[in-house]
Amino acid sequence: MTQRSLRTASRASIGCARVKMASSFWKGVVGVGLFALAHAAFSAAQHRSYMRLTEKENETLPIDIVLQTLLAFVITCYGIVHISGEFKDMDASSELKNKTFDTLRNHPSFYLFNHRGRVLFRAPEQEPSTPSAQALPSNPLRLRKLENYH
Amino acid sequence: MSSISELYDVTWEEMRDKLRKWREENFRNSEQIVDVGEELINEHASKLGDDIWIIYEQVMIAALDCSRDDLAWSCLQELKRQFPDSHRVKRLAGMRLEALERYEDANKLYDSILQDDPTNTAARKRKISILRAQGKSSEAIRELNEYLEQFVGDQEAWHELSELYINEHDYAKAAFCLEELMMTNPHNHLYCEQYGEVKYTQGGLENLELARKYFAQALKLNNRNMRALFGLYMSASHVAASPKVSAKVKKDNVKYAAWAASQISRAYQMAGRGKKENKCSVKAVEEMLESMQITMS
Repeated sequence: MTQRSLRTASRASIGCARVKMASSFWKGVVGVGLFALAHAAFSAAQHRSYMRLTEKENETLPIDIVLQTLLAFVITCYGIVHISGEFKDMDASSELKNKTFDTLRNHPSFYLFNHRGRVLFRAPEQEPSTPSAQALPSNPLRLRKLENYH
Repeated sequence: MSSISELYDVTWEEMRDKLRKWREENFRNSEQIVDVGEELINEHASKLGDDIWIIYEQVMIAALDCSRDDLAWSCLQELKRQFPDSHRVKRLAGMRLEALERYEDANKLYDSILQDDPTNTAARKRKISILRAQGKSSEAIRELNEYLEQFVGDQEAWHELSELYINEHDYAKAAFCLEELMMTNPHNHLYCEQYGEVKYTQGGLENLELARKYFAQALKLNNRNMRALFGLYMSASHVAASPKVSAKVKKDNVKYAAWAASQISRAYQMAGRGKKENKCSVKAVEEMLESMQITMS
């Protein structure tokens, strides 16, 4: 299982570099959008102080500042959505469609270690030293099998 | 021996992402985790940054599974050096003692954690696992029930309790635990399917009908669940073959069983598409479905 899955992961590595470039593009977009927003804010403040100086308080904001604000907002939102990662499906059950029983019963907080893996994976050099008293409770079947040969 | 990255032509980022996927989805493929994780720790430790500590934890637990006590000890030492007073590291030390079957020492360690912090759930769960490892399943069940009275939302613990009850053949209580899980995860087809299996095992007409309904629900949530399909077929056949049902119910269940059988054959046909032995395997599936028919003796 590892072989196939690691190989598909290696094919994804070429895509990975492309994704990294793409994410810095969207970060640039967000930066531009925020800068434009700040610029529009400064323009509006400057316009407000100019109005106060020339005592023409009833003139509304010029339309280009309004348009710049709205456009910058939309660009920032669009850029953030692209940075923020994968979207999840709305259908809650669709994520689970590929989940199988192999991992359902694995509870990491409750893992037990008194399984045959403790004996099966033991390195071969250690085996001659294992038929000692401490090994008895963990693998009584094995020693009983050895005793039958005598 | 060539390393993993040479064998499979992967970079260290992919190995790290693979380890994260195994960690998040509760895979217990310990041999692979030890191989991949050992290489990451030995070769790429500097590039991993802070990820390395959680990889140490993951590799240590996998090493205990594979009887690699040397690797487990070195991981534990690194973690102890970095986090000297951590309860989480103490729990790992306790797990190592459990793997060496020094259960009293492990119990003392967990008791000391609980004295420091009575709300520590991890230590309580390890104490329950020690009881289970020693074969004292009734005490483990009792302790787990007490734990669940305090921490009602712990899904893992409910599932573990249902497994303990199934081992004791106490299916009614196992069904209760699975009901709790289904209530909090209504979209999870696996819990529905497992509940259907428990009801089917309990037997009796009402339980078989209930099982059929839950198998159908599991299929509604995920129409690729083969176990639910087989379960639907078997429970519908059982209900249809029961002498106590009315003719209408019998007819309905025969229809359900026939539908399930056709879905099963279709699924096997789709799976075997393009392979040479398709004809023989389809025939084998049909024979299997026929042999599973419930006949009244």
